[in-house]
Amino acid sequence: MPDRREFLNTLIRGSILAGLGLLSGALIFRTGKEGDCGFDFTCGSCSKSKDCKLPRALESRQMVWQLDPSKCIQCGRCATNCVLTPSAVKCVHVYAMCGYCDLCGGYFKPGTKTLNTAAENQLCPTNALKRKFVEDPFFEYTIDELLCIGCGKCVKGCGAFGNGSLQLQVRHDRCVNCNQCSIARNCPSGAFSRVPAGNPSLLKGMGTETETGKLKSS
Amino acid sequence: MKQKIFVIAALILLLCLILFMTRDLFFSHSENKPNPYEYDLKALKSADTTQSLYTEDRQIHTRLAEIHGVATDAADNIYIAGNGGVEIYSRDGVFLKKFSIKGTARCITVDVKDNIYLGMEDHVEIWNGSGKLITQWTSPGEESIITSIAVTDTWVFLADAGRKVVYRCDLSGKMIDRIGEKDPENKIPGFIVPSPYFDLGIAPDGSLWVVNPGRHEFEKYTFDGRLVSTWGEANMTMEGFCGCCNPSHFAFLHDGSFVTSEKGIERIKIYTSGGKFNSIVALSASFEEGTKGLDLAVDSRDRVIVLDPVKLMVRIFVKKK
Amino acid sequence: MSKQKLVIILLLLLTVQATSVFAVQRFPKPEFETGYIQPETQVPSPRTEILAVMDVVVLLLSLSVISWIVLKKRSRNGVFLMSVFSLIYFGFYREGCICAIGSIQNITLALFDYNYILPLTVIAFFIIPLVFTLFFGRTFCAGVCPFGAMQDMVAFRPQKLGSRLNAILGMVPYIYLGLAVLYAATGTDFIICRYDPFVGIFRFNASFSMFVFAGILLLSGIFIARPYCRFLCPYGVLLNWVSRFSRRHITITPAECIQCRLCEDSCPYDAIDFPVTSRNPESRQVMVRKLMLICTLIPFLIVAGGWTGIRLHETLAGVNGKVKLARQLLDPATLRIQSEPFEITAYKSSGKSQMQVNEEASVMLKRFYTGGWILGGFIGLMFGVVIAGRMLNIWRTDYVPNKGTCLSCTRCVDYCPVKSDLSKVNT
Repeated sequence: MPDRREFLNTLIRGSILAGLGLLSGALIFRTGKEGDCGFDFTCGSCSKSKDCKLPRALESRQMVWQLDPSKCIQCGRCATNCVLTPSAVKCVHVYAMCGYCDLCGGYFKPGTKTLNTAAENQLCPTNALKRKFVEDPFFEYTIDELLCIGCGKCVKGCGAFGNGSLQLQVRHDRCVNCNQCSIARNCPSGAFSRVPAGNPSLLKGMGTETETGKLKSS
Repeated sequence: MKQKIFVIAALILLLCLILFMTRDLFFSHSENKPNPYEYDLKALKSADTTQSLYTEDRQIHTRLAEIHGVATDAADNIYIAGNGGVEIYSRDGVFLKKFSIKGTARCITVDVKDNIYLGMEDHVEIWNGSGKLITQWTSPGEESIITSIAVTDTWVFLADAGRKVVYRCDLSGKMIDRIGEKDPENKIPGFIVPSPYFDLGIAPDGSLWVVNPGRHEFEKYTFDGRLVSTWGEANMTMEGFCGCCNPSHFAFLHDGSFVTSEKGIERIKIYTSGGKFNSIVALSASFEEGTKGLDLAVDSRDRVIVLDPVKLMVRIFVKKK
Repeated sequence: MSKQKLVIILLLLLTVQATSVFAVQRFPKPEFETGYIQPETQVPSPRTEILAVMDVVVLLLSLSVISWIVLKKRSRNGVFLMSVFSLIYFGFYREGCICAIGSIQNITLALFDYNYILPLTVIAFFIIPLVFTLFFGRTFCAGVCPFGAMQDMVAFRPQKLGSRLNAILGMVPYIYLGLAVLYAATGTDFIICRYDPFVGIFRFNASFSMFVFAGILLLSGIFIARPYCRFLCPYGVLLNWVSRFSRRHITITPAECIQCRLCEDSCPYDAIDFPVTSRNPESRQVMVRKLMLICTLIPFLIVAGGWTGIRLHETLAGVNGKVKLARQLLDPATLRIQSEPFEITAYKSSGKSQMQVNEEASVMLKRFYTGGWILGGFIGLMFGVVIAGRMLNIWRTDYVPNKGTCLSCTRCVDYCPVKSDLSKVNT
């Protein structure tokens, strides 16, 4: 009697083990639709690596959360829904896109009459956006990430009146990389996605994005 | 006994937890919370319309695929220039004729003799009313973008957004002078033209006005390039110009008032000849968001003729009665 | 009036669509004359991948150590020290992510969504504890899982709940697991992470409700030991199944049980099976009748569960964003309220037609229909199995830990008066 039970146990144990092996194997080596690459682990020597839709076998499988500024509608939930306070989402300035305007739509409250750094003129609720005179008539705008709460107010202003050089981004020196980002869950426009940790930026206007908006893998 | 009460209390807490999870998952609508950091642009764009003294009288739909400039001639005919052609309509919007051109006209001006000046990207072409190319001027340079032309009896003024300078040419197209280059000695700040919207015009009193869009200013120059005066203020109120480079276009009413158009917050406004805000012609509500290049013309009856490059039509605004 | 409304809506649609095209640089870069150097936009990089590999190594090592402690050393102190380490490393240092419990969802999503790229570390975190459990019992729960470790430390006054209450509350993890798999498979949400009670503590930073959540669990955990592990944890379900077939498992006594009953009250998790020695009080006929009953009950419960699942599939689907959006668009109340929900604003700027949205929602709804059936059936099956387990009395003479529910905490070991060297003499 115990022998029979022991044998049955071993049998089931063996099949569970085999099942787990099969599952993990399938998950590691699963192929995309046009997958016939022979699973070269290095991927480097592969001639098709540019168009490859398969997850790279070993590197860049680590994923982090990022938000796509072109989908962002500045609803303010990045500020309120992150598990961290203040949020790991910050406004990031793409200087290369900035017009260095005196009258910055991201800096000044609407209705501002005199363009100076008086607190009552500032759109930013935490005064995180700093304005510095460069030369007539240009001003440099920088973000104090310690103060920024990621509300996206300035992003909206800059997008409406300027170049859209102010963009929201997940800052990975702060982000704790939750398995399920709680902002992503609440993002109304689905702007959040998992991106390869090796290239975690989705900023626009940095000169890295291709026509499709996907990042070139460097 | 005491222990039992604790266990029951703990159980109730657990059940509450599970109930809360269920409720939160299936029956909560927390996503309709308002944004505490809302930046309401709509409020900013829908200004008080009682200040608007103008009303839209009629629209002329163009058959061109892409339009950039509008002008009127002495008889108040309306000329529309764009990619590959020029169309001429009567002042009531009746189609008169059309001729084709090679390339894209970025701006158009019609002189008193009904010669049509077209700014063809980097050079100027002069056509007559029947669609014949009279002459083509040499390009000031490859990077030139001619965005505005003004013609007097003796001179032609060209605004070059590419080189950020105004040229004074004679009627044969020979360049005489460069106006508005940065010159701290003569207190000329230099034009800041971040985008290809750079307009100039001759006021009814004969003076030359140029927009300095990066500074949100109008600058008045003598024909030999001396800066006489400026006006204009950068701010986000109705009285000022906002955005990175505005106004993008302007025209003169007969009393010397300025009709200005802006992008960003699309709006057309009138300022007195002294640069004081006077009234509104049209606000963002009239245009599609992101409309840029609302070229303006004014005819002899002071109707404001607006080119709407997104809706592909010319819209005529008249003063309310 | 209605026409005006229509025009406004149309205009709104058009305007928002115009902005969706991301602003191309409207203005070229200014030409600076004072030698101003434009700063570079910094992109801080995430945690390096080597550290993720290190996590897996630490997981492997700690599982090996805890298994050795539980099975060879049989030392409660060792288990305690190990759980302190895990709490510090996996809890406070790694801040609870990625954990084995949550990885169920990643695995499920990867199985259903080809585009989802599954990190290798997540596979490792899912598979390795299962494999260890298959050989050594639930040693993962004993001292590696930071959730378990945290609750274990507050279990000051554990009380017995009785087998019936245990069975009823023990159904919750099955439902939780089923829901988690359903929502992960449909790409809706990771609900295990959404209601993760302890990450907030690990990060010293969370929303108020999360802290309340953790507080309630820890408070009730004083009297009901490890409430999350026993009555919520979906990964525990898998470990429970696998552990039943484990090659080795902790035993209360190192040698032969002497029926001293000292360990009876030692287990805070009610995971000790008592001896059932009154051998078959029922006649053979009763046994057959019981078996017949079980054989009809289980299919009936599966069908009943499946039917309920289908009836509830619309409610279940209501959690999905696509379905939610379609419903919002169809709901006339949406038009009436002053400020439109951001979901609607985003939908308008996405350039999708309402047809597409409805299409997506109906596809989703179909998946939930099937999913609801399977979920309901699964829960029905589990009910049946639990009831069957309670009906059948398995004959046993000794006090043994239940291989499924025992968390290998080794508390009972200290209660056993039998010493192993004695056993060596005996055998």
